[in-house]
Amino acid sequence: MVDVRGPRFGAWVTTVVLVVVLLTGNGWLLAAQAVVFAVGGLAGLRYAPYGLLFRVLVAPRLGPVSEREAEAPPRFAQLVGLFFALVGAVGYLAGAPVLGAVAAGLALVAALLNAAVGFCLGCELYLLARRVRPVRAA
Amino acid sequence: METTGLVVLLVALALTGLAAWWLRTRSGAVRRPAEEEADVTGSRDTEVLRSLGVRPEDADLTVVQFATAFCAPCRATKARLAQLQTTRPGLAAVHVDAESQLEAVRALDVRRTPTLFYLDRSGRVLGRSSGAPRPDELTAIVDAHAPAVRTS
Repeated sequence: MVDVRGPRFGAWVTTVVLVVVLLTGNGWLLAAQAVVFAVGGLAGLRYAPYGLLFRVLVAPRLGPVSEREAEAPPRFAQLVGLFFALVGAVGYLAGAPVLGAVAAGLALVAALLNAAVGFCLGCELYLLARRVRPVRAA
Repeated sequence: METTGLVVLLVALALTGLAAWWLRTRSGAVRRPAEEEADVTGSRDTEVLRSLGVRPEDADLTVVQFATAFCAPCRATKARLAQLQTTRPGLAAVHVDAESQLEAVRALDVRRTPTLFYLDRSGRVLGRSSGAPRPDELTAIVDAHAPAVRTS
């Protein structure tokens, strides 16, 4: 279980990073964001860089934990973010800036929705993805 | 300053605003089947739900929730239903792991989690909702069919 404010804070940091990526077209910054997503999604939220930032710098200044949530949904969301950040970073660095920008833009929509309204886009789409996969395989 | 990036940024912000508006106003609302199609699709949906072990005749109102492990609002909805059940004995709640029931998910055209189905005692589908249900609307539909018991 994790403090609900942790992933929300992480989503705000991610939003800022992605806005800077779009304004500068910097593929390396997007690659760095991909690494951040990979750590949180693959190693677990306790190792997520923005989560560490939250626990060390932000949480001590806030009140006690009022609400906790399961780790699986926000962790899955990190993997969805990883996919878009990887596509975007490859796009920028391989000389396809439009692909890079569109992928970064989609990641931004998901991050901002999570930050501003607490809505996890990747989590909602999970069932839709599971639904179509076996049909295509058959 | 990247022109492409700036355009994408503005489009992304507009899309996010639109999505947030939709989530606030539409998502989670209970949709009731139209009169003419209620009998056909309703009974078909009921049969699919029955095949999952749902027994509407056991309660005044049966709420079936399709959930996944990655669905945070599903947990909140489950807790809310459990809370409503403490004072409303006519209410039954069934939780289905959507991932392990993909056949039913396709048959019922469940696209998002949570998706809820509301059935009365006769097995009629009163309505369905996708996305976290609005607390007041959930309470209203429960009270309309399985009211709270007064102990006085």
